[in-house]
Amino acid sequence: MFFIPQYILILFVTILIDYVAAIYIEKSDQSRKKKYLIISIVATCLVLIIFKYLDFFNQNMIQLSHLLGFYYPEKVIKVVLPIGLSFHTFQSLSYVIEVYRGHQKAERNFGIYSLYVMFYPQLVTGPIERPQNLLVQLKEEKKLDYSNLSNGLRLILYGLFVKMVIADNLASYVDQIYANPKEYGTLSILTGLFFYSFQIYCDFLGYSTIAVGCAKSMGYNLMDNFKNPYFSKGIGEFWQRWHISLSSWFRDYVYFSLGGNKVKIQRWMINILIVFALSGFWHGANWTFIIWGLAHGFIYIMESLSDRYLPRIKELKNSWVNLLYITKTFILVSFIWILFRASSIYQVKTLLASLLKNIHLQDKFYVDPKVWIFLGIFILSDYVLFNTRFDKWCSVQKSYARWSVYFILIFMIIVFSSINNFPFIYFQF
Amino acid sequence: MTSIKIIGFKIVLLIGFFVLANFVYKHTLFEKDIQAYSPVIDLVRTVVKDGAEIIYLGESSNNTIRSDDQDKRSISEMISAYYPSKKFGHITKEASHAGIFFDLLQNIPDSSAVKTVIVTLNLRSFDAGWIFSDLETPLQQSMVLLKPYPPLFNRFLLAFKAYDIKTNEERERQFKTAWKNETLVFPEPFKYKNTDQWNKGIAYSGIKNPDGSWNTPMTELACHYVKTYAFQINTETNPRIKDFDRITALAKKRNWNLVFNLLAENVDKADSLVGKELIYLINQNRNVLVSRYQSMNVLVVDNLEKVGDAEFIDRSWTTEHYAEKGRKIVARSVAKALKQIYPSDYSDTISQQQVRDEFFSDCETPIDWGQMNTLTSSNSFSGKFSSLTGQNHDFSLTFEQSLENLPETMNKVEIEFQVFQTNLNHDAKLVIELRGQRIAFSWNGFKLNELSRKEKVWDKVNYQFLLPDNYVKAEIIKVYLFNPTSTSILIDDLRVKFKP
Repeated sequence: MFFIPQYILILFVTILIDYVAAIYIEKSDQSRKKKYLIISIVATCLVLIIFKYLDFFNQNMIQLSHLLGFYYPEKVIKVVLPIGLSFHTFQSLSYVIEVYRGHQKAERNFGIYSLYVMFYPQLVTGPIERPQNLLVQLKEEKKLDYSNLSNGLRLILYGLFVKMVIADNLASYVDQIYANPKEYGTLSILTGLFFYSFQIYCDFLGYSTIAVGCAKSMGYNLMDNFKNPYFSKGIGEFWQRWHISLSSWFRDYVYFSLGGNKVKIQRWMINILIVFALSGFWHGANWTFIIWGLAHGFIYIMESLSDRYLPRIKELKNSWVNLLYITKTFILVSFIWILFRASSIYQVKTLLASLLKNIHLQDKFYVDPKVWIFLGIFILSDYVLFNTRFDKWCSVQKSYARWSVYFILIFMIIVFSSINNFPFIYFQF
Repeated sequence: MTSIKIIGFKIVLLIGFFVLANFVYKHTLFEKDIQAYSPVIDLVRTVVKDGAEIIYLGESSNNTIRSDDQDKRSISEMISAYYPSKKFGHITKEASHAGIFFDLLQNIPDSSAVKTVIVTLNLRSFDAGWIFSDLETPLQQSMVLLKPYPPLFNRFLLAFKAYDIKTNEERERQFKTAWKNETLVFPEPFKYKNTDQWNKGIAYSGIKNPDGSWNTPMTELACHYVKTYAFQINTETNPRIKDFDRITALAKKRNWNLVFNLLAENVDKADSLVGKELIYLINQNRNVLVSRYQSMNVLVVDNLEKVGDAEFIDRSWTTEHYAEKGRKIVARSVAKALKQIYPSDYSDTISQQQVRDEFFSDCETPIDWGQMNTLTSSNSFSGKFSSLTGQNHDFSLTFEQSLENLPETMNKVEIEFQVFQTNLNHDAKLVIELRGQRIAFSWNGFKLNELSRKEKVWDKVNYQFLLPDNYVKAEIIKVYLFNPTSTSILIDDLRVKFKP
């Protein structure tokens, strides 16, 4: 992942296409509207395909030509993916679709629209905003506000803590396991899987919280991207709490367009699988991501069918049952993360083989005890912040408690953050 | 007014917090962090603790040896032998350069005994390939905690990666850009405008064998020479100049005598492979450095052309790694120059004729004994490291020395070391091995579990061995622990002493 100055042109082209398309969509009659929408979507997606998916298709064609024995030129297509492309193209698409649906007026001010796509706190890895939320705010006059500033700084502080102290300290252990899965036994690999679940969560939560905090300190409210996803009782709930801006994007623009749940059950299942497969493919041009998405889709369908046909199970409600559901969901999600983290299907197989075969206690894996303590602190903080946000939680605390928390977080960020450089995981998407 | 008071109070509170946090960090975790991320500081601490008056700062050129060297001393050890009355110390860190040396020198307290500082002036280190080397990021990282700021602030800089941090790809792009953009100026017209063109020109035309065939290794080597030496130092912009200037200013402030040891480069090879234009650049750069620092009252020892091609260890790469004779030439040259500072302490005869009869390794300092790969930090008697044998590590840290210079009267070897045996049920042996072309191979093994009967504790072993009559004919003596068993045995602080 590089910053290549020429790539700003790509951003400019995407902005220009959708800016013009939206104006034409708004001005045109129904049949032309659709044409402009399709042109806009195709053009925007084409940019994404060229930079993100072309080599994937190329490699698959090569494999297919070997399998079926037809001629296909074996050329390597090496294109560097512009940072944040998947995010700002989706944000752009969301704008034209909303204009098409009549939920949003086409923006005439090119500067304001450009700012909507390029709003720096969330340009690189989201949250993927909707025009109804962000575009409106960009037109408002903003003044420095002490409350916004302090809330923004609180969020930045918490974001730095989860990224630098939790995610980065876990990252080196996860990297060890995935670099040489054959070297490790069952217990180590399970530890690695457990750590990765929190690494990716804290890494992305950290970025999103900092982004929301940056925007907040300037007076802009961005949508929350996470709501304690590991306390979800099922996969459906998990996706309402994890990367909310993306899952709601797919729900609003793909799932509903396919008919949502107002179709026959077989068709509904296909819709679910399409949405989850696309969601996986959005993350990366690799079969591992597609299978990762499908695995979530499959479990989601199983859970939904169970709720539908075995309603008594759903009716069982008490703390212990909830805890069981939460544990089950966490374990499932953690295992499926293997597909997300692995660089290839082969690595997935190797890791699973080691997990199942290397059942011995003489494991090489050493984890610094302080990492467990940090993780414990984070899980506790995630529990305390259940369905709330750090800035909101702070605002109802007494000042001595609030400041004590600030001091502890600042001290931990400075003294316990990893010295190794781990870029945000979602930078690669 | 009230809100200003509140904000003021919060600022005061924050300042108080940072002062307290700095105190807590300094007295709890700072030293642990230093050992984890900046262990090089221990080299500085050692020279200060030992009361060294003269210190030598170098990179791998100081202590790299060739396997057939009889005298395995480093350049700094050789220099110190010329000044037996002076306490010498060295700070050797691989791949380091003036920027790193400056940071290390800053950590020498004013109260130390240091009076003279010898710094290696490596011509190659001024080239873009080294300036933008991929080793730079870890080097810069290792220096952050040593900056002269409060410990908590240093940790803050480390946490937020506030140093020159770049990926290997970014570094590569940097030096390739420099090779393309920096125009080379020659007194006469030359067909290549910059390093990049020159490198490509040689790569395309190639170095030919006498029969006209393409000599790939020599072509690659010629390209290395161009990439390494084809540059012209711009004293306004070259970061190394700034670093050496800072060292000069620091030495002046601390009242140190400053010596720059301009290291020998393989000029013979550069000439034969690439030609006079490259030699022109090398000489021009040398003149820039020598005249600049002499004018700043630095004692510059010019060794640039003093070592011949045969003494360069690396044959397919450009380095300043010299074999024994090369190290001796550089050491003698520096030692002679030091006479200007210490005229009455110089002793040529002692250094040349002195016979070492005692050798010691605590498994910490990077002296070149055999089987250094057995060093482990899992358990040690002193310092951090010891040598681990057993479980497929058959041979321990190995003492290896030529016997040619020993007088015949010294026919006893006293071996002393610390041992840690996990159990006594093994067949490990202390081995004294003598070999040479003029004697029969002699292998003498002594059962370790008879020399020490303690297990799971460190125990001192002392053993004397009488050398056979013909020992002086032996070319090499080796002392080591041979442990082909599965029992883990550690040794530390190995001392070998020859006695009459």
